[in-house]
Amino acid sequence: MLLIGGFSIPSVAGEPTEQVKATTDRILAIVTDPALKSAEKVKERNNLIRQAVDERFDWEEMSRRTLATHWAQRTPEEKKEFIDLFGKLLERTYMERVGDYSGEKVLYAGERVEEEYAVVDVEILTKQGRSVSVSYRLKKEIDRWLVYDISIEGVSLVNNYRTQFNSILVRSSFKDLMTKLKAKVDEG
Amino acid sequence: MDIFRPLLMGFTWFLMVLLSDGLALASSSSPMNSTENFASPEIVLAEELWHHEARSQNTSTRFSRNQTAQERAPIPESEQTEVVDVTPDPLEPVNRVFFYFNDKFYFWLLKPIATGYKAVVPEPLRINVRNFFSNLTTPIRAANCLFQGKLDAFGTELARFTVNTTIGLAGFMDIAREAVKLEEQDEDLGQTFGFYGIGNGLYINWPILGPSTVRDTIGSAGDFFLNPVNYLPDTLKRWAWIRGLDAVNKTSLTLGEYESLKRAALDPYVALRDAYLQFRRNQIKE
Repeated sequence: MLLIGGFSIPSVAGEPTEQVKATTDRILAIVTDPALKSAEKVKERNNLIRQAVDERFDWEEMSRRTLATHWAQRTPEEKKEFIDLFGKLLERTYMERVGDYSGEKVLYAGERVEEEYAVVDVEILTKQGRSVSVSYRLKKEIDRWLVYDISIEGVSLVNNYRTQFNSILVRSSFKDLMTKLKAKVDEG
Repeated sequence: MDIFRPLLMGFTWFLMVLLSDGLALASSSSPMNSTENFASPEIVLAEELWHHEARSQNTSTRFSRNQTAQERAPIPESEQTEVVDVTPDPLEPVNRVFFYFNDKFYFWLLKPIATGYKAVVPEPLRINVRNFFSNLTTPIRAANCLFQGKLDAFGTELARFTVNTTIGLAGFMDIAREAVKLEEQDEDLGQTFGFYGIGNGLYINWPILGPSTVRDTIGSAGDFFLNPVNYLPDTLKRWAWIRGLDAVNKTSLTLGEYESLKRAALDPYVALRDAYLQFRRNQIKE
């Protein structure tokens, strides 16, 4: 117990927070850049955001966690295809959210680190005078902290997708799940 | 996650308008079957799968020799999110019908009205209206803070009400938050039940009212009596219009949230159900 006690050190701004903040700042800089606002720059802007997001999100870890027990039963090819599709869906969802950015304040409310895992709590103050709590869950990969889950007001993205995927998988098949996932991504 | 509230309010309002002319109010507390032992096969399966997964993860860490301390260590908090929700949904076929109905209700009625309202009423004013209604429901939050023995939170609600009702001009301005950082304490009877360990029972997706559970439905029915709007000495119709304004106003401030949820979901019904259950679990935990 003594050993374990040492692991959760509450600190205000450690490495995980710094890295989440760096990515957030970078994305907000792109989103608010007037030079990238015009219609013909949309593609360039999206690519820049995508790049920043990709560097911070661990799509494979997210995929593994959302498929949970079903993950082990998949072949490497199936896993790869799944990561690719699911990553695209998450990326799109995330990009649409940040695309709506209109000057909300982002406050870093604290972090908890346990060995190679960390949680970074963020408060987003909306312009309508409400605050939304967001938690990033991260896992350390060598020197980088990578996001594998985001919770908004206690609703974890991974849990939400896991419930959906499981509901499809227990009734139908992995193939059917992939078809549905593909159709969703193809909505563009 | 304010998404649930406008839906809920909007749906209530619509129901009330429908029923307002002389019809007796349909009580939402229809008799329920016992909620125990109602786990659907799917949920049981999900649970089994989950336990299976937990076991297989344990074995997979065993080969690492230097991990003895960590093996016995409690699961890191980050891993603890991996809980399959066990709130049963045996009413799913009916719930899905109502989900479809509510979806159409939102897109065909509530959203167009809220969009028109948004175009006419500037945002600061809509925020004032939201604050006003929110201030009115102080009794619900304050009483439930008290029920849960959260005296600090109760004090906060009391202080907020005093400040906002007076200096904040009948609650139109949230001075307490802006000036002295007193945040609204979001408590209700469903959360109070949860606080004392009462489980969800079944998931219910009410027509008009939206996502809920047996516990939260009973909670909402109780909170109903703490909402001053429901004691207006006036006709049901006028009351319905007031609730309607509240609902439309709230919806106008959250347009697009339900759309985002739908767009990101493979199965919007399951996504909304899970979001509701996670959201409530988190509220109770806090």
